Formats: sequence, structure tokens, C-alpha cells
Amino acid sequence: MSFSPNTLLRALRTSKASSRTRVSFPQPLFYRQLHASSRLDVVKPFLLADIGEGITECQLIQWFVQPGARVEQFDKLCEVQSDKASVEITSPFDGVIKKLHYEPDDMAITGKPLVDIDIQSEISGADAEKLGGVDGNEDAGAEKDQAEESVRHDEKLAEVASEVDVAYSEAMTKGSQGQARQHRPRQGREDKGSLATPAVRHLLKETHVDVADVQGTGRDGRVLKEDVHRHVSEQTQQPVAHQPSRAATRQDKNAPLTPVQTQMFKTMTRSLDIPHFLYTCAADMGAITALRKRLNASATSGEQKLTHLPFILKAVSLALQHHPLLNSSLDTKDPKKPEITYRGAHNFGVAIDAPSGLLVPVVHSVQDLSIVEIATQLRQLSDKARNSKLAPTDFSGATFTISNIGSVGGGVVAPVITAPQVAILGVGRSKLVPAFDENEELVKKEELVLSWSADHRIVDGAECARCAERVRAFLEEPGRMMVEMR
Amino acid sequence: MITWNRAYRGAHLSLSQRRWLSKLTLERLATRPVQSYISTSNNPYLNLSLEHYLLQKSSPESTILLLYVNRPSIIIGRNQNPWLEVNLSLLSPAPRAATNSEPELAGSFLGAVDLVRRRSGGGTVFHDEGNVNWTVICSSKTFTRDKHAEMVTRALRSLGVERARVNERHDIVLDQGERGGDVVDGADMHVTPFTRQNAASRPLKVSGSAYKLTRQRALHHGTCLLSSPNLNVIPHYLHSPSKPFMSARGVESVSSPVGNILLENEEFMGAVQKQFAVMYSESRATELQEVGLEWLENETVGKGYDELNSLDWTYLQTPQFNVSNAADALASTDVQFTVRNGTITAGVLRSRNNSAFSQLGEDSVGTRLHEIAAWSTALPRMFTGVDRAECDKLATWLESVLPPSHKTAGHS
Repeated sequence: MSFSPNTLLRALRTSKASSRTRVSFPQPLFYRQLHASSRLDVVKPFLLADIGEGITECQLIQWFVQPGARVEQFDKLCEVQSDKASVEITSPFDGVIKKLHYEPDDMAITGKPLVDIDIQSEISGADAEKLGGVDGNEDAGAEKDQAEESVRHDEKLAEVASEVDVAYSEAMTKGSQGQARQHRPRQGREDKGSLATPAVRHLLKETHVDVADVQGTGRDGRVLKEDVHRHVSEQTQQPVAHQPSRAATRQDKNAPLTPVQTQMFKTMTRSLDIPHFLYTCAADMGAITALRKRLNASATSGEQKLTHLPFILKAVSLALQHHPLLNSSLDTKDPKKPEITYRGAHNFGVAIDAPSGLLVPVVHSVQDLSIVEIATQLRQLSDKARNSKLAPTDFSGATFTISNIGSVGGGVVAPVITAPQVAILGVGRSKLVPAFDENEELVKKEELVLSWSADHRIVDGAECARCAERVRAFLEEPGRMMVEMR
Repeated sequence: MITWNRAYRGAHLSLSQRRWLSKLTLERLATRPVQSYISTSNNPYLNLSLEHYLLQKSSPESTILLLYVNRPSIIIGRNQNPWLEVNLSLLSPAPRAATNSEPELAGSFLGAVDLVRRRSGGGTVFHDEGNVNWTVICSSKTFTRDKHAEMVTRALRSLGVERARVNERHDIVLDQGERGGDVVDGADMHVTPFTRQNAASRPLKVSGSAYKLTRQRALHHGTCLLSSPNLNVIPHYLHSPSKPFMSARGVESVSSPVGNILLENEEFMGAVQKQFAVMYSESRATELQEVGLEWLENETVGKGYDELNSLDWTYLQTPQFNVSNAADALASTDVQFTVRNGTITAGVLRSRNNSAFSQLGEDSVGTRLHEIAAWSTALPRMFTGVDRAECDKLATWLESVLPPSHKTAGHS
């Protein structure tokens, strides 16, 4: 029997985890096409689902499995305890347990990995959609934005876990209606036999189109996204005419938070605990601008042109050598015994406005980088952000954040500190203002407003002001930066 | 009086008199959509095993009510530490003579009190004949923590207890103080005409809840203090002298002032049943099925019962903790033990006056704490080269902090 791609793909679709062929449904996360010939066992961390009631951690009482144990969907994994409830957590997939992340008696944190499972069941379209990515952009390239994806992936896994497992708090009862809705497509999937990747199937679900109705133009009659779009536009040509669009825009629209918004929500809610104070000062950027003009004139390619941001980063880093308190981390896990850790490295998170929203990748060890190196790094990070290629390591370890809203506009801003950092700098847009020079004559000045927010539990106004003035001095006279550089 | 209470009819039946429970009855029972049970036994191990059986075996969409009353017993949560939560020295049938600090205990101790570790989470409670336990098992899809607490509060209010409400911790409390002036929504189970923000006296807790959640089923059980004669004695049982000397993981009990509602058991059970029927079976009176000792015949119930009864389950499910007399200013030798899964995994004696120290002997690692009969004999075996007088002093201290268990195997 010849193993044509057709046969293998059909085998893929109908085989169960226990059959001899044992092919797993590949993750659209990492692969552009179905590779019928390779066996893809994917080890995924299964996260501890949000168990409601605002509970962020619970104690692990006992494990029912060990690494190497084979589990089926709905087998018990472990029992956890949180204040009054003892909860059994079951596995949402068939597979083999690879790693347990906690010992009995440890506190397990919701939203963090509980076990690693080598998933060997056929992940249904619904599951893969939940794991693989919301917008199902199979054209967006084989490597998606891994950081965004992992955030989305984490949210989706958590959703899967909560849907398939215990759903018992008030919040979850709403989720359970979603659960009922999403269970139906999962059962329907097996019957279809039509060729459509999970991404396409998600689109089909969103547009309420039956896959059988769509004429596929891909390989082997596969339904592609273009086919679905074409089908939809054919269908809606008549109804579109008499849709009163004006009425539609006046209606309210409920929407869930996007993954980036969810992350922002969580982070900023944590930041509510921090008493912020704002300190602004305006720096005369004349010297820096002149310096940049000279340097950029001799730059060989557009790549090497410098903006003012690398200068600001370096100035801040040099200032922090004198004011290390602003580069520290505050640990308030024990509210009675807060701890400050003075961080040795200056890892600056730089806020970037990416297509999907606010992202804050990190430039590591700014104290060891030259201004040119900082500029290169910034460029790389923004390229990656634009192409959704940022990795989780690009986001970790920030000790201080710089938010440049000047690319959009702005004078004074009041930026929000991200815990556990204790300070943040917001940079506005430089503008020409009239000012008086030392001869009391009217001159043009290029003014840039720097807005510092600091955690008043740790940092007092004077300390922040001194640091801010030092940065201003560096920017107004770049020579001062040069003499302090190592 | 309790003796003629219908629920206790079967309590004194001997093995031969037990009714035979057919397998068919059990299966039939487990599939009806709404089931109400009342236990005829006051054996806490049996009642908790019945509860667990109903949780495991009932059909996923069914809703079940179980009511039972236990003889005097202390029930600790799934993951709690008995040494930390309970004064174990009071549990034995003939406790050591009441110390001078607790003269009121002399002559009023309750005799044998069972110690049971239940399978649901939460804190430690004291059960006796003036306390009715209610359990609702339902589908996890429709479960919320307040749902059945509100049901019981409705039952209480229907009996005239208008001070009852559900608080933020999902417990049922009685508001104290004077009636407030505001009009209050009678259908709201979270506020009463007596609720006020800065009440002069804290509300009295009359019912505590605990939960066990599995994939498809949710179990919510709670107590209800109706007419306990032991309210003044309970605090002594639930206050462990070892608290300042232990550092432990696991859930700690949150203690609250408690009070009696002053209703009869039967009244309360009838009202709860009625509210349950209203909620789940369109007011058609559901048949109240009696369950009791005969259910021990069932293999699952029997296995569960044996497990709950076993000292291993009661003591070895304790999360890790450390015992140390560092807080004892009068001691001349420091002693420190690490106990994991109820067994001693490490220990050290260190003199405060000189640099002498002794570590736990290898063969003593793994000693089960609850199997130590007397510290005066056990301690010298665990630590070699320690002065006899010091050993005796420490043994006396340990007897009060980690009282040897009076129970040997098999107690029912």
C-alpha cells in the first residue's frame, strides 16, 4: 500500500493515541504545514487553572501521578488545597507526564506550570485553536511572535484547563456556558474528514461557515483561508446591501480582553499598591541634537543613525551609578518585612508601541554598553516587536523602565511603575520653545520633558529629584557623560 | 432529648441486627436526580465515608442532600496539623489531670473524643449531638460557594432565626446587637436587620463550611450549632499548647466566637430538607432515605471507612512542620524536630549553656510521631550521649507539646 500523503493525512485524522501509527496532531504554533511523515510529540506545560475566589496560590497535597506515568484525559493528576476547598485537578489530555513542578506541601501558583505533559492525543481542532493562537495566522510565518504566543498560549491553556476541569466559582459559571458552546465543535470535528488546518477551522467557526460548503482550492482540495473569505463575501453580497450600518455602530459591543490587554491588566492591577509620585523636569536637548546631526551626517547607512533615546538610556544608567536606590527591586511578599534588593545590572525595559499593543522588551546591562550598542539593541528589539518575534527572555529581568511616548506626542506624562521595580521614566516629545539665555536674550530652545515616577514607599522626592537633575545635566552637556564613562 | 430522636434508632444495633442493603438499592439510589439522605448513625467515620461514597458514585447531574449528627469528635481539615490544631492530651478517655491553669476543665471533660481527618479542606471543628451537619453534593458546573449556605440560611430564617446571614467567608453567622433602622431586602441572605458596619460585637459564627471539588462534582458541607452543651469546653480542645513552638505549612484554622442557635435538631433538619426540595425538585417532597451502619457492607464505603479510621490517614497526612523549644525561655537545652508526613525526619539537641549537641540517631529517622508512647523512654533512644536529667526535662516538655496518642489500632 503506497503511503500517499492523502492516506497518511487521513490516518492522522482518524488515529487515536493508542494506535500503532501514533501520530500527533502538530501544533500550528511551530509548523506551517502538516508534516505527515514526522512524529511530533509535543511536551507542553499544563498550567494550574485559576480556581476563582481571587486565590493566587494553593498548597499541593498529593500527587496521583509520577513522571513517566501515562495519563488519559480526565485522569486525576493531583489534589490541591486552598483555604476551605480541596480540589482534584484532572488532566485535559492523553499523554505522558514528563515533569512535576512542585513537591507535596509546596504552594502552587495559579497560572504557572503544574506539570509538563507530553501530549499524545490527537488534539482536536478546538484544543489546537486554544493552544495554537487566536487569529490563526498561518500566513504570518512559521515562527510567530513567541512571547505573545506564549502569553496567548498560557491564557489558552489556562482556559482549556478551566473548561475541562473543575469550574466552580461564580466567574467560572459564565465560563461554563462557553464550555458548552466549545464542546460541540470538538465533537463535530471527527466526522468531517475535510481537510482544513485548525487555523482555517477557527476562521470557519468565527464566520459561521460550514466547512463542507466551502470549495477548497489548496492541495488535495484543502480549504484555505482565501477560500473561506471568498465564500463569505459571496454569501454576504445581498444581505450587506440592506444592513443599516449606522444602527450597528451605535450598539455596544462586548469584547474580551486581548492577551496583551490581559497581561497589562494583571500587571497594572499589581501596580495599584504602589504610591507613585511624579517629578518632571525639562532638559535642553540642543547639545544632543547637534551631536546627533554631526554623527549622523557621517553615518554610512540609515541603520547607523542615532536617535536621542540611546543617549537618554546611557545618561540614566550613568546617573543610576550615583543613585542605585532607583534601580532596586522591592519585595513585598511579606508585608511586615519588605526587602529592597539593589540590582547590580541596569536592565532597562523600553516600552514599545507594537501592532498588538504595549510591549516592554528589555535591554540588558546598559551599564556595559556603549551608546552605539544601545542604539543597535533598540533597533533590533523594535524590529522584532514589529514582526512579532520577541522571545520571553526579551521581557524578563527589567530593573528600570523607560517609556518613550514622544514618538507619538506628549509633554508631561505620569507613567505607572511595574512591580517589583521602584521607578520609571517617561520621555515626552521634544519641542521648540522660546527661552532666555544667559544674556537675557530670547532664544530658541529644544525642550524635552522628562517625567519620573517613583515608589514613595522607598524613594523620597529629593533622591528622585537629584537623579533626575543629574540626567538632565548629562543631556544638556554630553561631555559630562563622556568623563563618567568606563 | 436525644435518645428518642428518630435519627438514632439504629445507633445501638449490633452487627447481626443491621439491615441488609441490597446492591440494587444502592444503584437505584445513586441515579435519581434529587436525593435526600439522613444518617441513623452518629459514628463520624461512617458519616464521612458515606458522604465520600455519595460524592464518588452519584450520577454527575444529580443533587444530593445528606444530614447527620456525630458523637463528640474533632474533625480536622484534609491538610491540617493535628498537633497544632487540637489539644491532643484532652482526647484520651482518662486525660492527664487538668493543670492548674485550667481548673474549669476538671470534671467536665467529655470522655473519649474521636479525632477524624476529613477529605475536604478548611479548618478544625468540634462536633457533638447539639450540632447538625449538612452536606450538599451537586454538579461542579452549577456550583458556587454561597449557593447552599444561602439555602441553609433560608431554612433558619423560615424557623424564625432572623439574625442569620451568610458572611464573606461563606460561613453562617448571627448578627448581634440592636435592630437597625434601615429596611432590608428579605430575600438577601447576606444582610439582616441587625447588620451594621461597625457592630459593637462581632457576629457569632454558627456554621462553618468546607468544600471538596472534583472534575464533575462539588461537595459542600457545613456544621450548624443548634444546642451544643459544650460551648465553653470546646475552646480548650481546639487550643493546642504547642502553637508557639511549631512552624508549619498547611491551612490554619481561623477561629471565631461561636454561639448556639437554640433550635431542635429535628426542626432544623426538616427546614433544610424543605428548602432543598424547593430548590431542586419543585417542592415535591423528596423521600428522605435513611442510611446507616448497614452501608458498611458496601465495599467502597467500607474501604473509605477503614481509611478514615486508620491512624496513618489521621496523622501521616500532615504537611511538613518543625517543632522547637526556642520560644521556651526556661529550657536549658534546645530541641528541634522536623516532621514530614507525620514521621520525624531530622532532630537535634543543642545545649544552651555549652557547645554540646546531639543529632537524631539514624535508626530513629522515620519514627512515627503518633506511635511514640512516652517521651521519657523514646528520647534517650533517639539521642545518644545526652545527660539523663536534661533528657527528662525535655521529655516532660515534649509530653505537653507533642502528647503521645492514647489510641492504638482500631477504634470505632
